[in-house]
Amino acid sequence: MWRKPNEVKPSSQPEIPVPAAVKSEEPKPWAPAAPPQAAPAAKSVPEPRAVAPAPSNVSRISAGLKIQGEISGTADLYIDGDVQGKIRVSSASVTVGPNGRVQAEIDARQISVEGSVQGNLKASERSHFGASSKFAGSVSSPRIGIDDGANLRGKIETVRSASPEKPAKFEASESDNLHPAAVGADSE
Amino acid sequence: MNWMAKTRPAGAVPASAAPGKPTPGPVASGAANGNSRVSNGLKEFLWLIGDVPRGRVLDLGPIYQSTLNFFVEKGYRVSSEDILRAWKDFLTAEEERLRTAPVGDGWDKLSPSALAAKFLENALQYQAESFHGVLAWDLFDYFDPEAAPRIVERLSSLVHPGGAVLALFHSRPAERFHRYRIIDKQNVELVPASTIAVHARVFQNRELLDLFSSFRSSKSFVGRDQVREALFVK
Repeated sequence: MWRKPNEVKPSSQPEIPVPAAVKSEEPKPWAPAAPPQAAPAAKSVPEPRAVAPAPSNVSRISAGLKIQGEISGTADLYIDGDVQGKIRVSSASVTVGPNGRVQAEIDARQISVEGSVQGNLKASERSHFGASSKFAGSVSSPRIGIDDGANLRGKIETVRSASPEKPAKFEASESDNLHPAAVGADSE
Repeated sequence: MNWMAKTRPAGAVPASAAPGKPTPGPVASGAANGNSRVSNGLKEFLWLIGDVPRGRVLDLGPIYQSTLNFFVEKGYRVSSEDILRAWKDFLTAEEERLRTAPVGDGWDKLSPSALAAKFLENALQYQAESFHGVLAWDLFDYFDPEAAPRIVERLSSLVHPGGAVLALFHSRPAERFHRYRIIDKQNVELVPASTIAVHARVFQNRELLDLFSSFRSSKSFVGRDQVREALFVK
């Protein structure tokens, strides 16, 4: 009745080898790139929120960095600093971390916002706004996820296909030419 | 059907997309189920804007996933601007500006009318007549008498002729602050939220008509919870 923890009750049945767990080949759910470790902040700068290290194949703009200009490429981008200008990574994903402040047009495959973004966003697959996000501008994306608490101001445009099996059609809002500074304005 | 001329005689039930199968008439509005309430105003609002292909809707409350999904699945384009929060942030910024302005710098405290005008320099910046429907929720209950008419005037310029504004008015100060989320075409969820504005006034019927005098017609539903849902058609 009382068995030692490591003692196994002898069985008359031969032991059957337990197969190792087999991972099913399910498509991995999309998740934003994990944020990198926040750099130590200067005394005059508010302490950035601690975040986990990012995978090595993600380009990172850490807290404390400020970039002005155009960013383009094919690698995923994680932004936890300040970016102004344009971001064009149409085949990759862009994640704005909780410390990120972006004033830019973003053109990416997937866009995830946890920080502050001001500008026009265009995602060919999906976009997501976390609970701590603050966004002003326009969003054009087949799929949009909005967590409770997200602060959005602007135009949201998505088109769904008639058939539920087909992925939603991405609609390029070429007529939208809002300057990132023209928050909430609509020039359609 | 010319949606601009879309009107319904008083007492008539809304036309249905399925001929021979009229939709039910107004149900007891405000009958709450937990935090939800039946909204005849919403049903009427959707009927008014229903004929517009890919119409544009402006939600003046916080954007919720369910509200966005609701309109997107019907083919609408959605714009969102949490006006109450923007107003609160604006007033906070103005108070900070006054607090930090040097003495004698000429930065006097703005009058309520000037505050409202300054607020609208950055709020509700959209092209004229670009929206077919506006969900104002109960925001007018929280704006002072100087700001509310200016906001209505701005909304009037943003609404396409024939477009509709849905607004809710409490007959008495609300017990707690709520935001609104659409559940389906006739139900709205009241989402408890931290108070960002104080209930400013209770509108009388005449005051509502005067406030929305630039709109050509109006219709009201009063629920059991004493909330008046008003539709104003431009």
